[in-house]
Amino acid sequence: MDQSAFLGRFSRNRGALGGAVVILMVASGGLLAPALFPTDPLRIVAAPELWPGQDPALPLGTDSLGRDILAMLVHGARATLLIGLFASAVATIIGVSVGAMAGYFGGWLDEGLMRGAELFQTIPNLIFVLTIVVILGSTLSHIVIAIGIVSWTPIARLTRAEFLALRDREFVQACRAMGMGHGRIILGEILPNALPPVIVLSSLVVAGAILFESAVSFLGLGDPNVASWGRLVGDGRQLIRSAWYISAIPGLAIMVTVLCLNLIGDGLNDALNPKLRDR
Amino acid sequence: MAAAPPTTLEVTGLSTTLFTRGGELKAVDGLSLAVDKGETVALVGESGCGKSLTALSIMRLLPDPPARIVAGAVRLGGRDLVALSERAMLEVRGREIGMIFQDPLSSLNPVATIGRQIAEVLTAHTGLGRTRARDRSLELLEQVGMPDAARRLDAYPHQLSGGMCQRVMIAMAIACNPSVLIADEPTTALDVTVQAQVLTLLKRLQAEQHMAIIFITHDLGVVAETARRVVVMYAGRKVEEADVDDLFERPLHPYTAGLIAATPVPGAERARRLADIPGTVPPLGSLPAGCAFADRCPRVMPRCRREKPQLTSPAPGRLVACFAAEKVPG
Amino acid sequence: MNELLSMHDVHVRFQIAAGTVRAVNGVSLGLAVGETLGLVGESGCGKSTLGKAILKLVPVASGKISIEGTDVAPLAGAALAEMRRKVQMIFQDPYGSLNPRSTVARSVAQPLLIAGWKSDAAAARVDTLLGWVGLPADAKQRFPHEFSGGQRQRIGIARALALNPRLIICDEPVSSLDVSVRAQVINLLEDLKARFGVSYLFISHDLSIVEHIADRVAVMYLGYIVEVGARDHIWRNPLHPYTKALLEAAPIANPRLARARKRTVLQGELPSAIDPPAGCPFHSRCPIAEERCKTDKPQLRTMSNGAQVACHFV
Repeated sequence: MDQSAFLGRFSRNRGALGGAVVILMVASGGLLAPALFPTDPLRIVAAPELWPGQDPALPLGTDSLGRDILAMLVHGARATLLIGLFASAVATIIGVSVGAMAGYFGGWLDEGLMRGAELFQTIPNLIFVLTIVVILGSTLSHIVIAIGIVSWTPIARLTRAEFLALRDREFVQACRAMGMGHGRIILGEILPNALPPVIVLSSLVVAGAILFESAVSFLGLGDPNVASWGRLVGDGRQLIRSAWYISAIPGLAIMVTVLCLNLIGDGLNDALNPKLRDR
Repeated sequence: MAAAPPTTLEVTGLSTTLFTRGGELKAVDGLSLAVDKGETVALVGESGCGKSLTALSIMRLLPDPPARIVAGAVRLGGRDLVALSERAMLEVRGREIGMIFQDPLSSLNPVATIGRQIAEVLTAHTGLGRTRARDRSLELLEQVGMPDAARRLDAYPHQLSGGMCQRVMIAMAIACNPSVLIADEPTTALDVTVQAQVLTLLKRLQAEQHMAIIFITHDLGVVAETARRVVVMYAGRKVEEADVDDLFERPLHPYTAGLIAATPVPGAERARRLADIPGTVPPLGSLPAGCAFADRCPRVMPRCRREKPQLTSPAPGRLVACFAAEKVPG
Repeated sequence: MNELLSMHDVHVRFQIAAGTVRAVNGVSLGLAVGETLGLVGESGCGKSTLGKAILKLVPVASGKISIEGTDVAPLAGAALAEMRRKVQMIFQDPYGSLNPRSTVARSVAQPLLIAGWKSDAAAARVDTLLGWVGLPADAKQRFPHEFSGGQRQRIGIARALALNPRLIICDEPVSSLDVSVRAQVINLLEDLKARFGVSYLFISHDLSIVEHIADRVAVMYLGYIVEVGARDHIWRNPLHPYTKALLEAAPIANPRLARARKRTVLQGELPSAIDPPAGCPFHSRCPIAEERCKTDKPQLRTMSNGAQVACHFV
């Protein structure tokens, strides 16, 4: 694959480029959080409910307990992005495995796996996540797993569709004629060709995962040791009427991040397009 | 050019350019051809030579972007089609010029019955009512030799074979008695026995309706069977034009000669090797300054790499764009 | 017996939603060492399916296929790998027959690596193979989309040659190529045959190419073999009505000959392979069919000149 051509095609999509820049800023903010805001963001530093701009040292104000919102926001960036990435990774691993098996082998394996996927799809996603979290406990890893379990089905369907199409291509038949085993064909021949649309979908799943996590934390079921953005939104719930900025600011951050991830997904789609896949 | 009967369709100096990110590609460069009533002209060339784009240019069906006609005229019945508005062109397409395409199954609407699709052409151009249009559709299906036509009127394309779908396309193309029919590789996707049926059908329809046919193909066998005159294209330009017998007996352009030599004829002495043309067609984006065929030509001269050969007429009724061919006595 | 490939009463069937497709019905054919056997027929006649059955790419419902005398059906493991070394395939679609994400070197080396070659030995062999098919050495690191259709077919041929097969099944290898490129590939195939003594099963619907390259020709219709004979017999003296119709339908690239010849255009359409007609498969379109053809299936009989025909009236 041609690296520079890929980057070229990606950056031609202005929205995607902008989105990528913003996400990079968010990610670096999260990474540099300990350097930028060395003190524990959950410590009380000033009077509660200070509006943004009231105190120049606290540009985004303080929350109901007097904690620095900006510090919590930047620290929370790391948690939020990590959750999104890991949850998407879990969903992708499960989805690709299921889809590849179903698409390649067909027959009763395909039937069984797809009925299983349908089962997962019929349960309302958010309720499922909350149920799993409540049963397993509110730690970060459990939340990530729960979101992954809920998000794998679209990836499985897409992977299966790609495998069904690629399985009958002549180069795969050539590999079978050479005596290549199933595993090698699936992993070495078909999967690299099936991945591009799956990658695009995975980037969108990151966005979805962030929204799920925010909902879970908003409802108070998130990991109490992690100040993710959803948690911040939830914390400001009581004061929506008077100090609405406490919920609005992290809410805005979530919205912008999800939007940018979607734009990146578009850009990836353009960049990984048919041109590279022949004809 | 032709004195007595006015040519039905005359293309003069047609140039179509593809405006891509990689540059401007001259997909069709200064092409001229003329077809008379009742005559079949074959437009021959390999993939990428511009023959299909020529057809789309005549019909003004070019995808814009990236393709656009940049020069030339297409005269039909006194009017220049290139200069017509899209509105006026809608009247021309389907009524004065019919077109059939290569892949019959994908050229038909999969969710509409055959009867409806043919009737659509009729109602759009002739204002026939629904029942009259349906009757006429049945007549057309019978005219194109569709077996069990009455039942097939209500069939969907996927229920028909490739040959039958092609008959439907032909029915739609001739529905309004056009004076010109453009056939773009109509039999390439068909089996050889079905191809014979379709070619016979086209010849019969041409005799009945006196249509002028432009037959686009890469298959020299089909050319030999159907055409009266042949235009050979290479890399967007016309490189030779002649009557079909003259072309096959004495091809003047080395590319034409190469194509003919590379096409096996049944019953011929089993030669040790098929004559092949080495190399490949240069991509449109990197055409050489001189003749586009220079790198593959067995008769190449230094002049060929410097200048582009123009079309000359070394004998009556023959045109060729080749410096080596100019020297051949007519 | 000098037979490289021997097929006896082979049947291949597929299940689809609408029913059972009888793709190959009782085909018996032999191919001798050093021979090019052409297999012709139109779409749906089963010729491609038969080619794939030989390589065990599709399951055989009944019948026996033997390579160099060994029945391929029970083969597994090392014995199967050994058989695969002897028989390889070249495919029709130059765009689909190579993995778009593999370099040329990787694609051509695959059969070697699967057979257990070490990577440096394989790399050296890849260089040799590319040279044999007339591709430049720097082609190795490039990807399929950088090559033309004809060049991609050459890459496919290089891959098929990797393990020095005795038999190469060519499934419509030039149908998707331009005329001027077809001749290059056909000439290459003939050169390789002269040089390495490889045999070909050449599957095609293009009669003129088959006439040029084949020693013997088998004609298929709706899964049945209707005629087999030496190339010259088939072309100068076709016996089966379908063979005659095929030859008459094929366009001749010579206008004088085309006008001069007598021709009866075959009417009708190919019957469905799911519900093939009883009796002779060709009776619904045959110009000389009679009542008995509808019920009585003709068997292949050998004529005095060695050709085999399945028709009641020959």
